[in-house]
Amino acid sequence: MSGQSKSAVAGALFFLLYAKTASAHIIGARLGDFYAGAVHPLTDLKDVILWFALGILAGSLGASNARSVLLLFPFGLLAGLTTGMTMNATSEGALVAAGALVLLGLLLALELRIHGGLLCAIALGLAAARGAANAGAVGPETNRLLFAAGLAVAGYVIIALVMASTLAFRGAGTATQTWRRVAIRVLGSWIAALGLMMGGLTLAS
Amino acid sequence: MILLAAWVVAATLLAPVALYAHESSLGVLELREVRQGAYVGRWTMEPTIGGARVDLRAPPHCFLRIPELDCGQKGLVGALTIGNLGSRMSAALIKIIPIQGETRSYTITTANPTVSILGPEAPTLESWIELGVTYLNYGVDHILLGADHLLFVFGLIWIVGPSRRLVTTITAFTIGHSASLAAAAFGLIGVPERPLNACIALSIVFVGVEIVKQRHSEAGLTARYPWAVAGGFGLVHGVGFASALAGLGIERRLLPAALAFFNVGVEIGQLAFVLLTLALIWAHRRLGAVLPGSRDLLPGYAIGSIAAFWFIGRLLRVLAID
Repeated sequence: MSGQSKSAVAGALFFLLYAKTASAHIIGARLGDFYAGAVHPLTDLKDVILWFALGILAGSLGASNARSVLLLFPFGLLAGLTTGMTMNATSEGALVAAGALVLLGLLLALELRIHGGLLCAIALGLAAARGAANAGAVGPETNRLLFAAGLAVAGYVIIALVMASTLAFRGAGTATQTWRRVAIRVLGSWIAALGLMMGGLTLAS
Repeated sequence: MILLAAWVVAATLLAPVALYAHESSLGVLELREVRQGAYVGRWTMEPTIGGARVDLRAPPHCFLRIPELDCGQKGLVGALTIGNLGSRMSAALIKIIPIQGETRSYTITTANPTVSILGPEAPTLESWIELGVTYLNYGVDHILLGADHLLFVFGLIWIVGPSRRLVTTITAFTIGHSASLAAAAFGLIGVPERPLNACIALSIVFVGVEIVKQRHSEAGLTARYPWAVAGGFGLVHGVGFASALAGLGIERRLLPAALAFFNVGVEIGQLAFVLLTLALIWAHRRLGAVLPGSRDLLPGYAIGSIAAFWFIGRLLRVLAID
């Protein structure tokens, strides 16, 4: 692992360890707990942007790297959710999410070809953190199994679609595709900027 | 693609509670007029949260003291709301039985927690819109909660694949279930619910077997005539959809419109599922995510096994062993 990657992991760990009490946002449970679990993360900007950022990063690293994330990400969500529910930790993890956005955004903006193992570690860590954050939505009457299944399926679907779309957009990496790589890098810088803003807002509040 | 199937199946296995495809946490409240403008309420189907815990709000001119509702000379006209619909009570049916005239029914759902009780001049434009929104939502909800219907559609997509034939297959399924839904809703055909649900489960077992056959390079009936299988079993599934409407006690004059909106809702939900599945198939192909070797038989076996599990459970209900 390069020095840069080590710094990135250390930074990610710092943010992962920092957590605050959450005020869970309530969503309609019209279609039951499976769909509540699937929809809940999509109502939170932190989840939506993070999932997309991770998907874009994994997709831009190629199909072989992305395939491992396909299973690790929902597994991480499940592990985090289970841990969050068991330990009754209802942290919203706003700073963690902001830090992760900065990390992912920078990785995309700098177009760093990180090792597949590191990508897996980041995916698993982020998924676990967001899974734990979503545990705050599980009420006493919620069917935990259904909620967990919904969350994992949503994670799987979103990450699969984003990774595949990124792969398709990025193309084969020939010279004619250069502008597409630039577009992804620009997107990465926006994601990092969003992370900084979210982190700043969280600290300010 | 295979990985996708494995995931759908795994999610289904993880969520056995969701598999009571035709059962919902529905409450049915009957408001019977005992004298001019005065009603007495009674839960003919108690919601899972218990009738006493339902937050029922009557129009402002009415005075509600459970179980009595007094609306004076103006009668029960205006907004009726249930404030605490949720996962334990997804919908409620309000049946109003006047001293004179037809019984009227209104469905309150989480999406539409308020209904406007219609006066004698109904149906008005407003009531048509309300009816449309209610039953459109109810149709979408019914298909999205019907794990068995979705698994059947998934099986069809799995066999046919993302091709032009899939359009005819899904269209045939739509025509099949629309025809039988209409026939059942208008009382032209009637099938007891329990055996019907067992047949629906059996149709998925059939599709599971067909998938395994296809993987063994055998051209099964579904692979050769997918439109025929989809249309035929669509007829069975349509009667299942109708059973969801039957419990709501819609007025006969409003039934065609309610049926049409409900069917459109079912189609919207089904189309969304098909498009999502196709998108996922594309994503898996792009990522090269496939199960190696003979493991691609697993989804077929898994679909068949889940459906067989449902079938046995439903058969036991038919035989009243549960």
